[in-house]
Amino acid sequence: MRGHVMGIFKEGLKPMAQQSPKEDIKKKQQKQKKKIKILVSGPFAAGKTQFIKTISEIEPITTEKKTSAKEEKAVKSSTTVAMDFGKITIDDEHELYLFGTPGQARFDFMWDILGKGALGIIILVDSTNPQTFHEARQIINFFESRYPVPMVIGANKQDLPDAWPPEMIKAALNLDTDDIPVVPVVAKDKESVKKALLTLLEEIYKEFG
Amino acid sequence: MGFSGNLKDFPFPDILQVIAKEKKNGILLVEWKDLIVAYYIKNGQIVFARPVDKITRIYTERVFPELLKKLRVKEESIPKIIKKYLLDRLGDREGIFSLIFGFIKYKSTEKAPIPIEQIILEASRKLTPMEVKRKISDEMLTFVITPEGREKLKQLELTPVEKRVVELIDGKRTVADIRKELFPTPTIEVDKALYGLWSAGIIKRVRRGKRHKPEGLTLDILKRIIDKVKDL
Repeated sequence: MRGHVMGIFKEGLKPMAQQSPKEDIKKKQQKQKKKIKILVSGPFAAGKTQFIKTISEIEPITTEKKTSAKEEKAVKSSTTVAMDFGKITIDDEHELYLFGTPGQARFDFMWDILGKGALGIIILVDSTNPQTFHEARQIINFFESRYPVPMVIGANKQDLPDAWPPEMIKAALNLDTDDIPVVPVVAKDKESVKKALLTLLEEIYKEFG
Repeated sequence: MGFSGNLKDFPFPDILQVIAKEKKNGILLVEWKDLIVAYYIKNGQIVFARPVDKITRIYTERVFPELLKKLRVKEESIPKIIKKYLLDRLGDREGIFSLIFGFIKYKSTEKAPIPIEQIILEASRKLTPMEVKRKISDEMLTFVITPEGREKLKQLELTPVEKRVVELIDGKRTVADIRKELFPTPTIEVDKALYGLWSAGIIKRVRRGKRHKPEGLTLDILKRIIDKVKDL
């Protein structure tokens, strides 16, 4: 295993030259906040950016570029090249960070960078496009071999008529009944995204409980 | 309930893997370039294949024993039919498939002439290096033989490479180790064997052991995160 799993890390802040006592208290509070990192990964156009956008309390920070490959252009005009970032404040001390990784295998160095320290991973697939299942399997293989943290497969686009049912996606991904859960997802729908995130959190709870 | 796709994106071993895992009745319909073939599935096994001129026929002729009578097909000729319309076409990628579960009525006596696991192995032998890489994508993958896999192996005909791969699978050796031990067997042949055995449910990926609990993470914090997400 190349990486060491660290789910929580403290934020380091650079000292400010001059700050008011009020700002100082605020900075101190921020400094103490612990970040809990969850990764949202998956193939190209699986809906990762939308997933984060739907649940994040801040407008997600994205690093999108125009798609260059011919096949990708046909699917969507821009894609994530480094990461998406969203946040959920848990309490005064904790924040849940959602990091979205680029889907294409050529960006797998980003999986490596973002995978370190992740508490769990949601892997999204496009349920209407079986080609994306292969890429999802590659991502599962990658993380299982290097950063074995709890995972959940989000079978996205379940609102579309030609979507494969989650149980068949599970079979297509070579997952056993007691293996990684596959949950139906519609990334535009908050309740659906919440359900996927809760399934992962429950997996994490089971793992460490 | 069912699914559809293109054989270029989702080749036969992967389709058959889903059929074998689901263990249901139904029909796999493949629209090849030259003809349409309906493959009849009983409990996750291919029991018959039949070219059809019109897709609607498969929906109107739902009672399997009556269908065989109508087509004047004898039981002993079914293996030849399956060879002609399935085994001989496993390497072909020009086709669109759809799988529909349910609606076919079988007797209890029909048997699959060739176990689906054998067909999966045959189909995996015809994969291209790029297709194999989709599944055997990481040399750190580790496999173990499943309990059902040991039983299935008794009725399957393996190639010499597949046999040697099976012998080396112990839950500890990685793909890289197996490739190394079987050198000078070409890597692609080893990977095809792993692909087929995995798709046929004879082997499965070993999940890494219990994860280390991240420093500073308590169940109380986890509970708070769960409650917060529930309230969003």
